[in-house]
Amino acid sequence: MEYHVAGSVEEALETFQRHAGPRRSAMYVAGGTDLAVQIAEHLVRPQGLIDLARVPALGGIERGGALRIGAACTVAALAGAQGLPRCLVQGARAIGSPQIRALATIGGNICNASPCGDTLAPLVALGARFELVSSTGEREVEAERFFTGPKLTVRDSGEILRQITVPEEFLAGSSAFRMIGKRNGQAISQVNLAVWLRLSESSGRIEEIRVAAGSVAPVPLRLEATEGLLRGQAAEQELLDQAQAAAAREVRPITDVRTTETYRRRVISALFREALEEALDQARAGNGGPR
Amino acid sequence: MKLEFTCNGEAVRLEVDGAMRALDLLRDRLGLTGTKEGCGRGECGACTILVDGMAVNSCLLYAAKLQGTEVLTIEGLSRGDTLHPLQEAFLEEGAVQCGYCTPGMILSAKALLDQRPDPGDEEIAEALSGNICRCTGYGKILKAVRRAAEGGTTAGRAASSAPGAFGEATAPPRQGGRG
Repeated sequence: MEYHVAGSVEEALETFQRHAGPRRSAMYVAGGTDLAVQIAEHLVRPQGLIDLARVPALGGIERGGALRIGAACTVAALAGAQGLPRCLVQGARAIGSPQIRALATIGGNICNASPCGDTLAPLVALGARFELVSSTGEREVEAERFFTGPKLTVRDSGEILRQITVPEEFLAGSSAFRMIGKRNGQAISQVNLAVWLRLSESSGRIEEIRVAAGSVAPVPLRLEATEGLLRGQAAEQELLDQAQAAAAREVRPITDVRTTETYRRRVISALFREALEEALDQARAGNGGPR
Repeated sequence: MKLEFTCNGEAVRLEVDGAMRALDLLRDRLGLTGTKEGCGRGECGACTILVDGMAVNSCLLYAAKLQGTEVLTIEGLSRGDTLHPLQEAFLEEGAVQCGYCTPGMILSAKALLDQRPDPGDEEIAEALSGNICRCTGYGKILKAVRRAAEGGTTAGRAASSAPGAFGEATAPPRQGGRG
């Protein structure tokens, strides 16, 4: 297996093109924390790896109007960053171990597209957009439209995820993330969930809300019916109870090696309530957005 | 590919397959067998090394990623016969049983103490959360890290003529330290 360390996006795209052909294949790699295991176990067999981890244009976190995160930004950097939406930082902190977070990147978590990836539900809840670049052009895809199945996305194998954008309107809200695994340290999520919301300044009602859950469907799932119950309403206990029950009905989990459908349904309901209350507390305290 | 990096303070230049694991490069090419392979898939932390001060799993790290970095393995921690305070603390607290996880534990602890010289117990537990020990139950390991952070180790233990762990009249000479 050939190993190329790319110095720029252009160089990486050219290298990929050189490998293109019926009996040749290359894959992009960033942190490699998941891909290295898949390759070691012969689950994928690329002939070449193109390392994007040190491409300068893929690094950094910028906060102008919108929030821009370079795809090669490490999960450790996100977990320790100031001024990012709370649910994204909480999601980053939930990933792996310190050793994994030091190598893993947000772009890797996205492109790997595991349903249990802990940045995916936050990015969907935050209305994030993914910028893809290829040798023939660029395009932007909403987080919600990016994932098509377990480990499947709309990204072509030759495309590079360059950056993740969270639009300004979603930065002016509050959010929270919850996950549950078998144990606290280094556990893969059995389910995870992110809530983003914004309260009306005049009425205190929930003006806008987005809820996304992971590992309860083939892709990170927007809970639109649950959102609909809460949108435009005052956040009173009775309504929160109804929304909690609606969340349990709306998810579409399966029983698999990690846990059962029944457990997922019950737990997602509890996690939703916790995340919702945390986001509401943040919003009422007036420090809900950047932290 | 040609690879240049610093390992335990010494410049290393060698020709390697970039897709080789850093773990294999350290053990098989450089003879640094203090770095252990446990699970080989980033879950146990036995292969932990520090790259530019960050603890990483060397079993998941492609050798090419070491280019231009500073690597620290367990072999680079002592200065001759003078152990690092973390190593002293692990000995004094009896934080070692079979010893297989110890190099990784100590390096994860070092990454923490270099950033946070006076960590809370939760921070210590979090910093070691990627290192699995199947012998000790972790209590003595956590105590040892706390002790090292508090500077409570006996300085110069290795150089002293105090009885060794098994009651020898003099401590056995330690090998493998870099002068």
